Amino acid sequence: MAPTTHQRKRKAVTRDVDVPEISNVESEAEFGDALLEGILSQSEDSDDDSGEEEEEDSDDENDEEDGLEALDSDEIPTDGDSDAGKSNGKATTANGANAIVEKIIGEQQLVEDDDKPNYTITTDANGGERYVYEEINPVYDSDDSDAPITTNTIGDIPLSFYDSYPHIGYDINGKKIMRPAKGEALDALLDSIDVPKGWTGLTDPTTGKPLNLSQDELEILRRIQTNELPEDGYDQYPATVEYFTGIEEIMPLSAAPEPKRRFLPSKHEAKRIMKIVRAIREGRILPYRPPEEQKEEDEEVHYDIWQDEVPRPDHIMNIPAPKMPPPGYDMSYNPPPEYLPTKAEKQAWESTDVEDREKEYLPTAYDALRKVPAYDKFINERFERSLDLYLAPRVRKNRLNIDPASLLPKLPRPEELKPFPTVCSTLFRGHEGRVRSLAIDPSGVWLASGGDDGTVRVWELLTGRQIWSAKIGDEEAVNAVRWRPGKDAVIIAAATGEDVYLLAPPVVDPETDAASRAILDHGFGHATNAAPSLTAHGAKKEPVAKWTRPGTRLEDEGVLIKITLRTTVKVISWHRCGDFFSTVSPTAQRTAVAIHTLSKHLTQIPFRRLPGIPQTVQFHPSRPLFFVATQRTIRSYDLQKQELVKIIQPGARWISSFDIHPGGDNLIVGSYDRRLLWHDLDLSTRPYKTMRFHSKAIRAVKYHKGGFPLFADASDDGSLQIFHGKVVSDMMENATIVPVKVLKGHKVKSALGVMDIDWHPREPWCVSAGADGTCRLWM
Amino acid sequence: MDTTMEEIVAPSNSPGQVQVYFTTNSEDIELPEEKRQLRVPTDVRRYGLSQILNSESMLDTSSPIPFDFLINGTFLRTTIDEYLVANGLSAETTLNLQYVRSLIPPLYEASFEHDDWVSCVDVLSGSSAAGTWNGQQITPGQERILSGSYDGLLRIWNKSGQTIATSTSSSAGGHTSSIKSARFISPTQIASAGLDRTIRIWKYAEAQDGFSGDLKPTLEFYGHTGAIDSIDVHGPSDRILSASIDGTVGLWTTQKSSAPAASSSLLTSGPLAKRRKLTTSTSTPQRGPLSLISSHTAPVTAAIFNPSDSTVAYSASQDHTIKTLDLTTLEVVDTRTTSHPLLSLAALPGITSQLLAAGTSARHITLLDPRISASSTQVMTLRGHTNKIVSLSPDPESNYGLISGSHDGTCRVWDLRSSRQGTKDEGNGLVGEAVYVVERDSQKGGAKRPVGGEGIKVFGVTWDKDVGIVSAGEDKMVQVNRGRGVTRTESL
Repeated sequence: MAPTTHQRKRKAVTRDVDVPEISNVESEAEFGDALLEGILSQSEDSDDDSGEEEEEDSDDENDEEDGLEALDSDEIPTDGDSDAGKSNGKATTANGANAIVEKIIGEQQLVEDDDKPNYTITTDANGGERYVYEEINPVYDSDDSDAPITTNTIGDIPLSFYDSYPHIGYDINGKKIMRPAKGEALDALLDSIDVPKGWTGLTDPTTGKPLNLSQDELEILRRIQTNELPEDGYDQYPATVEYFTGIEEIMPLSAAPEPKRRFLPSKHEAKRIMKIVRAIREGRILPYRPPEEQKEEDEEVHYDIWQDEVPRPDHIMNIPAPKMPPPGYDMSYNPPPEYLPTKAEKQAWESTDVEDREKEYLPTAYDALRKVPAYDKFINERFERSLDLYLAPRVRKNRLNIDPASLLPKLPRPEELKPFPTVCSTLFRGHEGRVRSLAIDPSGVWLASGGDDGTVRVWELLTGRQIWSAKIGDEEAVNAVRWRPGKDAVIIAAATGEDVYLLAPPVVDPETDAASRAILDHGFGHATNAAPSLTAHGAKKEPVAKWTRPGTRLEDEGVLIKITLRTTVKVISWHRCGDFFSTVSPTAQRTAVAIHTLSKHLTQIPFRRLPGIPQTVQFHPSRPLFFVATQRTIRSYDLQKQELVKIIQPGARWISSFDIHPGGDNLIVGSYDRRLLWHDLDLSTRPYKTMRFHSKAIRAVKYHKGGFPLFADASDDGSLQIFHGKVVSDMMENATIVPVKVLKGHKVKSALGVMDIDWHPREPWCVSAGADGTCRLWM
Repeated sequence: MDTTMEEIVAPSNSPGQVQVYFTTNSEDIELPEEKRQLRVPTDVRRYGLSQILNSESMLDTSSPIPFDFLINGTFLRTTIDEYLVANGLSAETTLNLQYVRSLIPPLYEASFEHDDWVSCVDVLSGSSAAGTWNGQQITPGQERILSGSYDGLLRIWNKSGQTIATSTSSSAGGHTSSIKSARFISPTQIASAGLDRTIRIWKYAEAQDGFSGDLKPTLEFYGHTGAIDSIDVHGPSDRILSASIDGTVGLWTTQKSSAPAASSSLLTSGPLAKRRKLTTSTSTPQRGPLSLISSHTAPVTAAIFNPSDSTVAYSASQDHTIKTLDLTTLEVVDTRTTSHPLLSLAALPGITSQLLAAGTSARHITLLDPRISASSTQVMTLRGHTNKIVSLSPDPESNYGLISGSHDGTCRVWDLRSSRQGTKDEGNGLVGEAVYVVERDSQKGGAKRPVGGEGIKVFGVTWDKDVGIVSAGEDKMVQVNRGRGVTRTESL
């Protein structure tokens, strides 16, 4: 029996209420009254059995009390062993004929004994087997607060039925609820203690115990008796707040005496009242309306148009009462076999959606009507109907209907913006390795290109014939090739490594050739005549760049001047007049941007310190402005005033190139983070438009400088994109930017696609330099 | 006539007949007036109609001439019935059938291999301009083909592909750079020009056996400051027209005595290395231009004489214009502006009004009426090429034929009679489509034409009556294709 005691103890721990009571029971014999006082005061408000119990002396009273005690301690008392019951809660170790009851309660136990049988086998009085089932835990201590805690389970029958019994009903476990003590025993108690709060002297008919009312309940009762609203917190008669006081003012606003009309009865009103009185007397006005009539009129009338329906011949004006079609054979509980679905039909019916099914049911055969099961979807349908009612929207929701096409901006179609380059018309093949830079000469006849093989090549633009080539870089690639603007001479500036070469390709007539040479050689006189610039210490200052002859081999080929700088030159940009050009060597610290004067063979460093690594530079097409792009920003400097004019912030992470519109007020910027940005210099320092159409970095951007509203960008994804970018002269209108064409053809080699781009000076043709070693002319 | 018709029609199970009216523009094969109306079965095709026309009762030709039929400007390629259905015409209408000699595909004949890209070709034959000008008869079989190459050499070939003569190199008075254009002035005189900005006149002497000859430079013309793109010659007046990228049109005379002296500043050409070479060259007389007309603002790409009047010249330029030049007053008479850069020019003289065909960089040929009185500038557009059109040559036999050479590697034969109304995208107007496409023989194996015509660009094409279609290109070949059924028309 050890486990039972163990369980008993555990139960005692889990149920807090039991603790005082058990101790109460145990202590009863030893401690007597003294101790119980505290308990009473402790549970003054609650209906406490122990309060009565302590006064009990007689045996039968004790019995009853035991029953109550047993009720609380969940023990099952048996009728036949009232003696055994005397041994109270300790009788769990009962012996002899008494059946031992096990109590297993609590979630813990349930969890532990999940797979155990919910009964135990004991021997009964006859020595036979007896299954003792565990008590059911109905979990009434759940938070289902609506249900009243029923203690007496006898139901809705008068208590008088139990008058002849010592108990008044049964609790949820089927144990008897013993009649509480009353009469003299209680009187004695009442004499000794005060009347508790809420004491009514009534007996609760359901429990038979004294009915106590709480303070709140009493308050509600009081309200109901005084005809107030029982609800708490509602003041039916609030104190009046007087907005206009009836107290006569000592200093009234108007000193005018009370007008006469205030105290003279109105003749007009008397007249009107008499009129009504007369009308009532004559019966023209009824002071009240008989209520019955109103009721009848208000009642809604429903007409059953088919209430006396008689079968009539079919007629177009006759609408017969709607009638369900009579059930067919297939609705029978045992339809003829030809109505039964085949396996395939059954499968098809099951596989289709419920909404799509032709029939809601499947004919099924049962050999007897009693074998027909209940309608299996009954609950389902009810539930769904409830859902429909519950979730049905009361207001029709109007969906916003917007054509997505109408949200797109109105842009002209690319076909209307012709001409622009559409196809590759000439291929220039010859460079070994990447072509890094290219340019079309100002007359639009020749194309110069420079690449990884260290050569500068001049091509016939239309045919793709290589006319001339010069190898200027032995190991290094040609990074930049730019023609000198102006038609008076034909000069190419090309950068390889730290050297910038000036070339006069022999593709022109002797006169122009001579002019070109003269322009190039003119500065030698200046360079020798000019006083060498001195440093502060008076020592000869190391020049930033050396202008020399490149040597006879190159001179014979047409390479006339070599300018040696300190670091690798990546970008060359000419001033429009053709006398200045600027170079950028991003790796240099102080000499990153250099401006060279051709006529004086002079190299100057305009910036001693730059905020960032310079990427590229441009001269403004009409004004004396100089734009320097660092990785993040483009700064424009006024060369005359020698001051910073503007800082343009495209918001790109790493600017690769930019170009200035020939009008001078707009700028496009290409960045390595795939963005192409259009700036309106008058508008803002932020981009007017950002375009991200390329999947890889943008290497070069260029405006058409010959009158067509076109610009293009070249990307590492091997494609060029041609845009129509129309700039209107009036300040009111923004530029129209329409992407018109993607030109594909260059192959991507080692993650590089198109390296450089240039436009024909007159025609809407563009050329591109590819990492695949070709240049392409697009027209 | 009806009875004869029955005979012809009998084999076909005459499903229906339609009234046709035969017309033609060729007088030699014109039908007598009373025979032009005819009822023909509707299920015949071009071949059947051609048979009807060649029958005894109609033209009564000794050997049948294949004909093509044009209805409303389109070639009949289906049965008449299908044509009627397609155009929604009733069988009771009278169809106007214009019959023309059928075009025979320009079959490939031969290729002559060169060392470098071939930029231009010209033909000397009994029917070519140079062959007819001075009255000397070129016997058939003695035709010569002249080719100018990017290596700076002129070559003269006979029809069997043998090089008869090659011009001297630059050290011996030849071109110092690529030749871009070369023409026969007469059977013994040749003019050539190129990237070295000079025009050179060569004396061509042939050995008696006709298998060897030599080219000697006789004159050098200096004047242009840019490369010369094309030249045209007029034998009887000894005039040469040149078009240069410096934007000028030059007029020159081949008469050494009447040509003015050359400007000394232009005589030395090229950098030092080239100059050294020049000093060793044989002394060729150097002359200047009669005139340089600088009316264009962009490179001039072609200048031609009016075939019927050598005092009028036309020039086409990349500045989108065609200018009419009066060579006696050296003035620009008229300017026609088109919408695209022009790269080639040819005159089509035979039609009622002379037309100019200009090849553009926008892949089509524009036909213009150069007369000042003409109201519409653009008569017709020929579309089909996929790249720049750099060479044009009229059909020597038909006034409506034309061949064009393009950088897309094809030559296309056009018939101006076949046209349709252009779509809006094509800029409306009449649009013609190519009748035949002559591919490069060197490219025959390749399934796809390379991008940008790489390696197969056609730089020059000439259509000669005797030799056929001669074209030169980037594939270092001169390709000869047979022109139309030349022999057959002669037998008529």
